[in-house]
Amino acid sequence: MSNVDQQQEKREFGAEFHSLWRITFCPAIWALHFTLSYCTAAIVCAKGGSVEMLRAGIAIGTVASLVAIAWLGWRSWRQWDLVNDREWENDAGTSEDRHQFLGHAAFLLSIISFIGVAYVALPALLIETCR
Amino acid sequence: MSAPERMPAPEGPFPPTEEMLSEPVPQEEQERGKAELRAAWKTPEGWRYWSAVNNTEVGVWYALTAFAFMLIAGLLALAIRVQLAFPDSQFLDADRFNQFFTMHGSAMMFLFAVPMFEAISILLLPAFLGARDMPFPRLSAYGYWCFLIGGIFVLGSLLFDAGPKAGWFMYPPLATKEEGIGPDVWLLGLSFIEVASIAAAVELIVGALKCRPPGMRVNIMPLYAWYVLVVGGMILFAFPPLIAGDFLFELERSFDWPFFDPTRGGDPVLWQHLFWIFGHPEVYIVFLPSIAIAAMIVPTVARRPIVGYSWIVLSAVGTGFLSFGLWVHHMFTTGLPQMSLAFFSAASEAVVIPTGIQLFAFVATLMVGRVKMSLPMLWIAGALAIFVAGGLTGVMLALVPFNWQVHDTYFIVAHLHYTLFGGMVFPVIAGVYYFFPFFRKKLLSERLGRWCFWLVFTGFNVTFLPMHMTGLMGMPRRIFTYPESSGWGWLNLISSVGAFIVAAGFAVFLYDLLRPKHRQPQIPRNPWGAGTLEFSHDVPEEAWGVRSIPHVTTRYPLWEQDRIVERMDAGHYYLPNAPDRKRETIVTSVIDGKPLYVQEVTGPTWITILAAVFTGGAFIFPTFHIYTPAIVCGAFAIVCVLWWLWTSTARPPKNDMREAGLGLRLPTYASGPNAVGWWAIWITMLGDATAFASLVFGYFFYWTARPDFPPPDAAHPEGLWAALTAALLVLAWAAIVTARETNGRGHQGVARGSIALAICAAAGGAGSAWLAVADLSPTSHVYPAMLWALMVWLVAHVAAGVVMQGYCLAGSLFGKLTHKYDADLRNVTLFWHFIALKALVVGAILGLAPMVLS
Repeated sequence: MSNVDQQQEKREFGAEFHSLWRITFCPAIWALHFTLSYCTAAIVCAKGGSVEMLRAGIAIGTVASLVAIAWLGWRSWRQWDLVNDREWENDAGTSEDRHQFLGHAAFLLSIISFIGVAYVALPALLIETCR
Repeated sequence: MSAPERMPAPEGPFPPTEEMLSEPVPQEEQERGKAELRAAWKTPEGWRYWSAVNNTEVGVWYALTAFAFMLIAGLLALAIRVQLAFPDSQFLDADRFNQFFTMHGSAMMFLFAVPMFEAISILLLPAFLGARDMPFPRLSAYGYWCFLIGGIFVLGSLLFDAGPKAGWFMYPPLATKEEGIGPDVWLLGLSFIEVASIAAAVELIVGALKCRPPGMRVNIMPLYAWYVLVVGGMILFAFPPLIAGDFLFELERSFDWPFFDPTRGGDPVLWQHLFWIFGHPEVYIVFLPSIAIAAMIVPTVARRPIVGYSWIVLSAVGTGFLSFGLWVHHMFTTGLPQMSLAFFSAASEAVVIPTGIQLFAFVATLMVGRVKMSLPMLWIAGALAIFVAGGLTGVMLALVPFNWQVHDTYFIVAHLHYTLFGGMVFPVIAGVYYFFPFFRKKLLSERLGRWCFWLVFTGFNVTFLPMHMTGLMGMPRRIFTYPESSGWGWLNLISSVGAFIVAAGFAVFLYDLLRPKHRQPQIPRNPWGAGTLEFSHDVPEEAWGVRSIPHVTTRYPLWEQDRIVERMDAGHYYLPNAPDRKRETIVTSVIDGKPLYVQEVTGPTWITILAAVFTGGAFIFPTFHIYTPAIVCGAFAIVCVLWWLWTSTARPPKNDMREAGLGLRLPTYASGPNAVGWWAIWITMLGDATAFASLVFGYFFYWTARPDFPPPDAAHPEGLWAALTAALLVLAWAAIVTARETNGRGHQGVARGSIALAICAAAGGAGSAWLAVADLSPTSHVYPAMLWALMVWLVAHVAAGVVMQGYCLAGSLFGKLTHKYDADLRNVTLFWHFIALKALVVGAILGLAPMVLS
């Protein structure tokens, strides 16, 4: 392999390594949202604090998480590139298919994370006290 | 991380062209390659057979051992059912009954479900990936021997009437106050087995990421590998909290540090948190790899590629994440705030979605395929039916009000058996029938298999379906008998009859599995007509794994790649020979499966057994509160491991390059992120950091849960020592990073000096950590106890880090570690990144937190 090839490969690999992580970004946002909601609720309920503030805080955190997930989801939708090539399966051993497959997986995970975050936010919406 | 200097890069054409693949390989070259591989991969014979480390041997031992433990746990269940068959029964007394149900649960979870996944993965993963072996065969073997010793120790306690009896989740204060050695057996024995689990997780993650065949990109790897990757990741985040919990629990049992004693500021609920942070992901750790077997069987049965490959990946990854948000649904009655409970209720409902998606993908595949019903598919069908029923009761139980009604009743018992039996036992048996031709080059009996299926399936439903009713009628779990007037008698009798029908089914299975089959004619290579690589195996058996490592470009190579098996057989592909009679496999890049280098894998040895025996001693002696032999055993275990690493890992190779076939020349040594060892350290430390994070969580948990944490009049650690701890350990880290950099540039003297400095700084850091808390009395209150626990954890890691630095120094002095071959030093540096992080956190908790929190 020539030097140029290697450099190109490094660049490609860098980008792609990133994209294997990228499929976990949305679930990671769900995890972060979940942990923060649970911890703040636990601290506010234990140490005494304004439940109204808590609910407002969870609302803000939820909106921020949903926006972030939606943005990542849109990016992975672009990466999947369904509109242009109508390819659902991406099952060939090529760089293009691997790239689009990772997009597809990330896109699906963003949907599930979106639902997950919305679910977890419901308690703060519906329950008005700690008790 | 810069690439290590002067290790040559791979050379030659990749990917191979069709012309290259069509060139015939001369007959004598084929024969020579075969002879070399046979010599390299020869399985030891006679009594030396037990020194084998190859995945095909270790995997079989592992699976059979786990199966044996399962049968024992099943017998315990039968005894339980006999006792409960009639009201006021005297078959078992209360104490023995407690031991039996505790051991039934513990053994099924820790000695069967998780180890069985590891066993099957160790057996199958290399075959799915066309690799010759796992990246670290000796680690698998060490894990297996640890598992065997630990399992015998834990189960053996029953024979001496000394088994644990507080239920499989060992809630304090019942378990911390219990007389005798039962809880210690449980804690130390199972912690010891968790070593094997973490080892397997490391092995499997690295195997799935780095040992795929050339060309197998992530979008075409078998679904099983995706599941293994996810489950491996889950083990890293799920098991360490339990290890941290065990650590605190055993400190309380042995030294009376009051972590779970409310009279001295402790809190039993912390144990419940740590246990279930492990315990809920655990059930998915058990379920996902089993359903992964279904993902391999369903396409074969439907005779078409799986529908919705990406959807199944989503489902595996999504379940992996969401399952960590469910643990409090086991604690709905602990009196936590409503809002907190509702978060977990919501997440428990959300996890249904990804779990369901994979089942729909299987059904869709079967609908559009041309199904040819076979015995494995029968078991998969049974699994889907039972698992869905169990999942639906799970949806009910996720609702807090309903949960309060049936908490701790037989409804729960019914639910968990439906999910675990349907989600794990059935798919695994399907897998045994499906893969048996691969394991043993024989077929199991179709007729016996059907008998077995219908016995187990009907027996299971007869046993557990009535239990929903029993639970709704109010029968609590874990009572050893009940009065006639309760009206639960007839339901229990039905359940007990069903249990014996299940047992009859397993007896048939056992007979079919173990009966001699030498008169059976030779089987075809691919009896089910499967499309994945494991059925390219050699019949009759060869020990080399694959004859040559293929270039894979499709998801179902046996269906979609013309003449692939023929070419593999002819040694057309990679590594078709072993000129140095060494065991080797190809390591490829994570995303695209580009060949990176040839990894030498280790061969048969006794050292793994020795290391496991000594590790066992280090865990088992403390059960009886005997500490000196335990420390001696621990030291010997470390010596064994060091010897094994020194003699057989990361040695400078004879040649820097090797002809790998098809014109490709690959390096024979790698260090840093290319190398599998570096990944193993990284993954292990991720798990270790999770355990540490669990301890830190404990500290803050006490702060939220207890008004007197830290107590108003508490003595705090000396700030100076806390600061010095952090400073010295960061200095040690900086010195080891300097050593890595200077060594890479060829300044060996400077590097050695830096390592020596790092060792001194580390020792100083450990000393000052101890001095920081030395004046506090850990038995007086949970606050000093927690600080002590953090200190002990940190110092233990620093000690390990110092041993590693010494190992590098010795390596440098004896020529094992040079500027070119520096894998050891890079791995140790990685380890120290984590120690530096821990040191900063512990320093902050010892020195800064008292000012903030009081």
